[in-house]
Amino acid sequence: MSNQRSKYEHLMYPVDWLEERSGLVGGIKYFLFRKVPGDVNWFQTLGAATLTAFLVQATTGVMLAMYYKPDAKSAYPSIEHITNDLFAGWLVRGMHRWGASVFIILMFMHMGRVFLFGAYKYPRELTWIVGVILVALGLAEGFTGYLLPWDQTAYWATTVGININGTAPFLGPFIAQFLQGGEFINADTLSRFYAIHMLLLPAMIAGLIGLHLYLVIRLGVTSPPWSKEAAGGSNDSEPGADEETHG
Amino acid sequence: MAEDRRVFRERQFKQYKSDVKKRGKPFYPYVMLHDSIMSLMVVGVIVALATIWKWTTPGDHTGIVMHDGVASTEGTSGWLGKLNDDPADPGTISFTPRPDWYFYFLFYLLRIFKWPESVILGTIGIPTICVLLLIAIPFLDTRAERRPLHRPVAMVTGVLVIFSMGMMTYRGATAKESLGSELLGKVPVWAQKEGFATNPKAVAGAKLFAVAGCMNCHVYLGSGASNLGAPELTTEGAQHRGILFQVEHLKCPSCVTKGSPMPAFASQGQANLTLLAEFLEASQGPK
Ligand code: HEC
Ligand code: HEM
Repeated sequence: MSNQRSKYEHLMYPVDWLEERSGLVGGIKYFLFRKVPGDVNWFQTLGAATLTAFLVQATTGVMLAMYYKPDAKSAYPSIEHITNDLFAGWLVRGMHRWGASVFIILMFMHMGRVFLFGAYKYPRELTWIVGVILVALGLAEGFTGYLLPWDQTAYWATTVGININGTAPFLGPFIAQFLQGGEFINADTLSRFYAIHMLLLPAMIAGLIGLHLYLVIRLGVTSPPWSKEAAGGSNDSEPGADEETHG
Repeated sequence: MAEDRRVFRERQFKQYKSDVKKRGKPFYPYVMLHDSIMSLMVVGVIVALATIWKWTTPGDHTGIVMHDGVASTEGTSGWLGKLNDDPADPGTISFTPRPDWYFYFLFYLLRIFKWPESVILGTIGIPTICVLLLIAIPFLDTRAERRPLHRPVAMVTGVLVIFSMGMMTYRGATAKESLGSELLGKVPVWAQKEGFATNPKAVAGAKLFAVAGCMNCHVYLGSGASNLGAPELTTEGAQHRGILFQVEHLKCPSCVTKGSPMPAFASQGQANLTLLAEFLEASQGPK
């Protein structure tokens, strides 16, 4: 046994080297072998499913960005080129387009499961708040992406959408002006939406997902609310709970 | 009392941590396996949607057809809709301001609220209130109780919210947008009812009005849809705003009426806008 270990020890050198300098290996081990309640259920995979949908968007988005041209003259033809000429271009574009809807649906389903399980309660309030911000940013991502094909639906839905932003009190007109890059929707609007859609919002979303997952790992996932084990809930009765029926 | 509760929930969380440590199972491989299966299904569904979208597009699946040597996207809807709509054209005279489906509920809200008093409520107000309420949930609902059947208020509210969002999304999705060509057929009736049949400029303006997408937001003699709280225009002329006002408003609605969400039609050109203005001023209500 000990013989074997020394025989293959050199294989571990790179891992040891990395661990000694970064502690990453320990981190990954902690992540993989941390304990979760014994009775977690399928509904609790929705968070991971949402993460996967986001990663699909990120990957296909980078691929699209290599061929998409964010100016009023070439945007539409470049999308057409991607769809009809490039190898598997239709697949990448199709996945990005439909993945957006899947991402939004999964985000809402995940939120619904968290609500049903009461998993937003102490001490996971901040995890929930970060989640709400992610929903808002996800919808903004959908809004900015919708304009990029620069077709009729895109153009006019966005015109009206920006105008609606303009009706907001105080900041509204400034937001509308900023989004459009001028009085009317124009070529600058497109490059602005593009920058927001592929740099600003994804960076914010990725950062917040990181924070979200950090909190999930730090606090541990809940077990289903009907769990008998204390790892799930507790059979102790809560002080004052009887007097209140709300909640 | 509040103190009790804090102590209680802290103790409960400590208990949870130690229970999980003692009796829980490791994330890898158990949870990891389930997460991976679920993730593969997600990717599978996305690939399937992309495939159906492309390969149910009629013809050669490119989403483009030639009509007399002109490229067009007409009639290229597959099961999941067109691959492309026509290229954006700011000078167009017919459009449907359709957002993506997850904004349909907002879109529908805009039909309920009327310009200008409450439209702000429908656009910025309600979404902002929704976000704030969502953020507030953990602070409004501070009991430790997590079992759904013991949280009747939360459950009923949740079901009502899901139901109304679903309902509004459905209504937004099925809201009928009037077709320019159908509306065009109504112009003679309008001209006769409103008594501008002898005014060729107004009649020409009415035709523009029918196809320019105005009726996606405005109602005229019972046709069209009321959207974003846009006023009915059947009696617009009765206010005697004047041609000059109408043209300026059409060129840039938000410059004339602060905060107007109506799109600018400056790209239509002075001549067309004057015709539209003639029509609007001639619309003094059914005679
Ligand atoms: C996206 C929705 C939308 C579209 C499309 C639209 N409007 Fe409007 N319109 C509005 C709204 C909202 C108002 C109320 C705010 C305002 O007065 O600008 C309005 C107001 C008006 C008014 C009243 C102005 C006044 O103060 O008396 C006229 C006239 C009008 N629109 C004409 C048109 C014409 C003509 C078209 C087509 C070329 C058109 N609209 C297209 C939303 C729209
Ligand atoms: C980009 C979007 C999101 C991603 C990638 C994501 C990811 C995850 C993952 C992987 C988990 C752990 C596993 C699980 O419970 O499913 C989790 C837990 C959690 N999420 Fe999210 N989430 C997102 C959005 C949201 C939203 C919109 C909310 C609610 C507003 C939310 C609130 C929570 C809470 C409170 C937990 C802890 C649940 C528990 O401990 O049982 N998340 N999230």
